[in-house]
Amino acid sequence: MLQKPRNRGRSGGQAERDSDWSRGGNSGASRAGEHARARRDGFAEEAPSTSRGPGGSQGSQGARRSQASPAVGPRTQKQQELKVSELVQFLLIKDQKKIPIKRADILKHVIGDYKDIFPDLLKRAAERLQYVFGYKLVELEPKSNTYILINTLEPVEEDAEVRGDQGTPTTGLLMIVLGLIFMKGNTVKETEVWDFLRRLGVYPTKKHFIFGDPKKLITEDFVRQRYLEYRRIPHTDPVDYEFQWGPRTNLETSKMKVLKFVAKVHNQDPKDWPAQYCEALADEENRARPQPSGSAPSS
Amino acid sequence: MLLKLVLNSSAHCAQPIRNSYRVCSHMQGSTRRMGVMTDVHRRFLQLLMTHGVLEEWDVKRLQRHCYKVHDRNATVDKLEDFINNINSVLESLYIEIKRGVTEDDGRPIYALVNLATTSISKMATDFAENELDLFRKALELIIDSETGFASSTNILNLVDQLKGKKMRKKEAEQVLQKFVQSKWLIEKEGEFTLHGRAILEMEQYIRETYPDAVKICNICHSLLIQGQSCETCGIRMHLPCVAKYFQSNAEPRCPHCNDYWPHEIPEVFDPEKQREAGISKSNKKSLRSRQH
Repeated sequence: MLQKPRNRGRSGGQAERDSDWSRGGNSGASRAGEHARARRDGFAEEAPSTSRGPGGSQGSQGARRSQASPAVGPRTQKQQELKVSELVQFLLIKDQKKIPIKRADILKHVIGDYKDIFPDLLKRAAERLQYVFGYKLVELEPKSNTYILINTLEPVEEDAEVRGDQGTPTTGLLMIVLGLIFMKGNTVKETEVWDFLRRLGVYPTKKHFIFGDPKKLITEDFVRQRYLEYRRIPHTDPVDYEFQWGPRTNLETSKMKVLKFVAKVHNQDPKDWPAQYCEALADEENRARPQPSGSAPSS
Repeated sequence: MLLKLVLNSSAHCAQPIRNSYRVCSHMQGSTRRMGVMTDVHRRFLQLLMTHGVLEEWDVKRLQRHCYKVHDRNATVDKLEDFINNINSVLESLYIEIKRGVTEDDGRPIYALVNLATTSISKMATDFAENELDLFRKALELIIDSETGFASSTNILNLVDQLKGKKMRKKEAEQVLQKFVQSKWLIEKEGEFTLHGRAILEMEQYIRETYPDAVKICNICHSLLIQGQSCETCGIRMHLPCVAKYFQSNAEPRCPHCNDYWPHEIPEVFDPEKQREAGISKSNKKSLRSRQH
């Protein structure tokens, strides 16, 4: 669904965009830096028409841009900024649906001919996402080439009153399942999950007035969104499955946070579960230590 | 208690990063100093993006909420300055928070619009190819019409000409309702016109794609879909533009040909009056319920 309209917009639009764009006309004389960069790229360009925005802060990045010039036409500063803008919007929209974004999709739907400067574009997009919107672009797992956005702003209860969408009402159910998995030693059988949820009035076969189809939510949606892992247990009859935390959960929350949630629900203190509390503490220490493979987008 | 906790909890529990550094302002050729982005602005943007379009009073409420969360003691910036600050940062991304006014009663509205693309791209992610084409067809009928409204019948008659998967009239009716719900179209008595949101987002696209058919307001020179027209010389004006232009003028005359202006002059939009009307309406409601 995303593909066709975007493609049409892009192929037709690119030429229109550039020819119709008259904003950059009064940027005046370009600085020596700009000229030097243009020359280094090996393209004969006129002074780049638009030179505002993070061009300045990205200046050092631009200077370090690769010297390899592809067979495609010249790319002005403005064209690159437009690409970064497209990329930022693409990532925002995809993440809104909580679908991890595949690098292949990014290349196909947004980057196109700009493939050679993809790492630079992605880096700039990540910087804009962080500075402007407060979202951090992270790779789901090292070398997975899939990305998600983490909100660096702490969500607040009152946000719900000023939002335009329902946020994610299903998050509560997710938290319960995550809590259950952690408290039961990081793995739990599907049968145990439903035994537990039944007590809350949530059934796999019955439509729920808030969560809709709980079975689909837990075994499909949350799995697709990478919050949960769902694996078949071999040699079980009838077939049983087991749940574990997915990679997105570890990025978006922590064992300590989930333990605190569970404690709150029981009106108790996290320390009342010493084994889990120890595990959560160890996890916190691990997180505090700098990671060897950075979570920044890799090329 | 459990249910409330469950509904209010969130899996997005990351540590907030308090960033409020100033980006260097020696932008090449730019005379405008780029604004500063703080968590107040970021939360505002994040929450604004959850709305396709938002009325000014709600925007102010949203702004106050964001200040409350991050910076309780600070004085809330004037909305215009607050938004200009954010827009100076958004400039590099070719998007901006745009302010417009509803064509029917002059209420100020805001939307985050794309400045770079000249297409109906924002809709592209939520609708299928044939649905987008239906919108395009409706758009053309609306632009060509004299009143700014296209009848449901006329739109549905074009269903066979749509690109993409074949769509039946019944389906098309539902798609039109989807457009109304997501605030791209307004429906009035079986006829459709553009929602303020669509005008904000697509004005540039519309003016470039249909240069001969578009109507322009004689006062503000922006795109005009609904409005009043002079019966003698044919110039057009938005209803809120008429209201402002002829405010307290006993003898309204056409600004172009000076002929007597034949239409009823609407009232200028007053946000205070609107809120009072809203409050008195809800008071009446609560009175009614108490009487049971």
